[in-house]
Amino acid sequence: MHYYNRVLHILILVLILFGCDSEKSTDIINSETNVDYTGALSGGDTTVFDASSHAFSTPAPNLVSEALDKHLEGDVEFEAVFVTAPAVVNPGLGPIYNNISCINCHSRDGRGRPPNIDEKLVSMLFRLSLPNSENEETGNSPIPVPGYGTQLNNRSIYGTPAEGTVKIEYTEQPLTLQDGTRVHLRYPNYALTDTYHPLPEDVEVSPRVAPVVFGLGLLEAIPEETILENADEDDSNGDGISGKPNYVWDVVNKTYALGRFGWKANQPNLLQQVASAYHDDMGITTSLFPLENSTGQSQLKENSATPEVSDEILDVVTFYVQTLAVPARREVENPQVKHGERLFAQAQCADCHIPTLRTGVLSGVPSVSNQTIHPYTDLLLHDMGPDLADNRPDFQANGYEWRTPPLWGIGLVRTVNGHTNFLHDGRARNLMEAVLWHGGEAEKSRETVLEMSKTERDALIAFLESL
Amino acid sequence: MKLYDFMKNYKLLSLFSCLLLVTSFAIGCIGCGEDDEDDNGDSEVYDANEILDHYANNVVLAIYTDLDTKAGELLTAVKALEENTTQANLETAQEAWKATRIPWETSEAFLFGPVDTQGLDPALDSWPVDHVNLQSVIDSDNELTVDYVSGLEVTQKGFHTIEFLLFREGDQRMASDITEREMEYLISSTMNLKDSTFQLQNAWATPGENFASVVATAGVEDNSVYPSQSAGLQELVNGMITIADEVANGKLSDPYNEENTTKVESQFSFNSIADFQNNIRGIQAVYTGNYNDDGPGLDDFVSGEDSDLDSRFKSEIMVAIDAIGAIPDPFRDSITENRPTVQNAIDAVETVHQTLKQNILTLVEESEFN
Repeated sequence: MHYYNRVLHILILVLILFGCDSEKSTDIINSETNVDYTGALSGGDTTVFDASSHAFSTPAPNLVSEALDKHLEGDVEFEAVFVTAPAVVNPGLGPIYNNISCINCHSRDGRGRPPNIDEKLVSMLFRLSLPNSENEETGNSPIPVPGYGTQLNNRSIYGTPAEGTVKIEYTEQPLTLQDGTRVHLRYPNYALTDTYHPLPEDVEVSPRVAPVVFGLGLLEAIPEETILENADEDDSNGDGISGKPNYVWDVVNKTYALGRFGWKANQPNLLQQVASAYHDDMGITTSLFPLENSTGQSQLKENSATPEVSDEILDVVTFYVQTLAVPARREVENPQVKHGERLFAQAQCADCHIPTLRTGVLSGVPSVSNQTIHPYTDLLLHDMGPDLADNRPDFQANGYEWRTPPLWGIGLVRTVNGHTNFLHDGRARNLMEAVLWHGGEAEKSRETVLEMSKTERDALIAFLESL
Repeated sequence: MKLYDFMKNYKLLSLFSCLLLVTSFAIGCIGCGEDDEDDNGDSEVYDANEILDHYANNVVLAIYTDLDTKAGELLTAVKALEENTTQANLETAQEAWKATRIPWETSEAFLFGPVDTQGLDPALDSWPVDHVNLQSVIDSDNELTVDYVSGLEVTQKGFHTIEFLLFREGDQRMASDITEREMEYLISSTMNLKDSTFQLQNAWATPGENFASVVATAGVEDNSVYPSQSAGLQELVNGMITIADEVANGKLSDPYNEENTTKVESQFSFNSIADFQNNIRGIQAVYTGNYNDDGPGLDDFVSGEDSDLDSRFKSEIMVAIDAIGAIPDPFRDSITENRPTVQNAIDAVETVHQTLKQNILTLVEESEFN
């Protein structure tokens, strides 16, 4: 074996010296001589060099030992499977819910997807509300649907009716690029079926797949001023791109606060994000949301006096999602990738998917504080046009607006989650489709891409896959 | 720490690379485009293709094939029990359940790919069992068809639900105590288990979805899942690290530290110790490439780089298997009654975990592959 290696070694050396070895190296250490490796460090000191299916589920490497222990405690709770009460281990599920553990939606801390044909909904859910006629007093918070609340809970414990389910159908529509290449986009149609209770005609429905959960502490640590500096709500610079902050209800501080998390930036911080996921998605109460998600509905058994998940557990799970490492980029010096990076900027993608930001101080989480990061987001709302619109306002976000999602790690979704379904409802089947769905404020960017040559499109995708 | 090492190495490598480039030009090499594979002079480029191919086809796929075979035998045994509900047939079914656990626990050294992306790990091995719902369904008038049971929550089917029906709570289960409804549920949930093991095997096999070839061809052009052999090997090593960590710091430690028997895996069947040993045997199979046949395995690469590390790690695996085996059965009693033996096993598995993480993964990450 050793001898064989030696021969191979010499062979490769010969190739390098006399031929042009086209073998691509994905190991950034060896990719070129002038590597600006800082570009690969997407999460600053929280970056991890892992291109396997563990890329999203590794603790930040800069956690000190006590913090690492806390992270690992959170990891156990993130995987905890809940069952019907009474039970010795993890009681409190439901009675109505979308899933039975955090990890079952955020598989490998990664991205969910719409169900395949004959599959049930696993890592996707549907938000519901009634029209809210610009009611200032409620801050345009979503109005719950009687009998349903603000989310369709499609599963339930035995003997309790689930709220219903959703039938998903897609219609293919062709799109011709300027060089004559034809692609197809699939337009989804969502029909609520098997509803246990009549739904009002004007119900607003918004599909959401489970987003990745790594790097979130870094996003939480971005100073509010930084986010607001990038906002341009009335497009005063006339570039066609606005960038609007969402202001959402902060349950703990009982005030409106800048929204950062969720597809429409409707959660102000990770503690509330985690608590609302326990509540809305699993029917598990916490001190933030002490009443069951079925309160006011026929499914409610009883509201227990003490929260089903303690503050201690809530704290470690919040810390867990704050301190998951961000995977490093690959192929940063590959010329095709560099070409794609330039095209990404030229097409104005980088105006919203902002490549570089600096974090401030996040209290209690030094590992994410004061880091230079490459999230490719501005955390602001943008009008994405009628094709992507969910037509369901969420606080200040109107029915056309979505928060710019971070793009870090996007090239590893296939490896981690085994699919390439992108956008809020996973309708895009690959990265190019996701790009082509962009409308509204991104219409000019989309048109730029439509006019690209195949070489340019390939470069753009190669760049996205390096993230 | 990894990052620091990377930066340190990066500086060194850059230096080497510059030197090499200068030398190359000096001897008249014509510029080689932009994407040269620089040889940094201090390590060799290793072709891991055989290791990855053998791993995918002769370890992972072979173990999943055994899992599906054993699940078929379990189904046969359960059907025989239904036809003739004798104590002997119950014991045969119980043994068949334990036999099916062997390849499953072995396979926990590679919980990635279809077992995860198709939701099969939760479908097969969710814990805890939802006793309230299970009893409600058994007490109901619903027809307990395979389709019906398959549609239930993962906490009401899979290994541990079947275990509960076959063994109850570790007591001597009497065949005559199994109700008709329980028997129907047992048959349907075992058929559902068999469907899942077939789906898993088929996802790796040819014909089938052939995920084995995705792993086997890591680094081959157009492999978008594992664009490099390095990424493929990282997956292989990470799989071992995950289960070593889980056994040392979860499966053994959690019940031990809290003296809490409700946290014990496979507690109904008293099969915990076999489960844990088979987890470590999974590491052994992955590392050596020896399952039904012999290697190549990652040990071929490691021994070439550092033969001391290779032999040390192999003996650490043996020590860990023996240390777990030295815990008196059942594990749920030993966490209070034989604590030193449990602590000893925790330490031995943690040693395996640390060697994998600190030595073997690092070696793989710092090496160059084809």
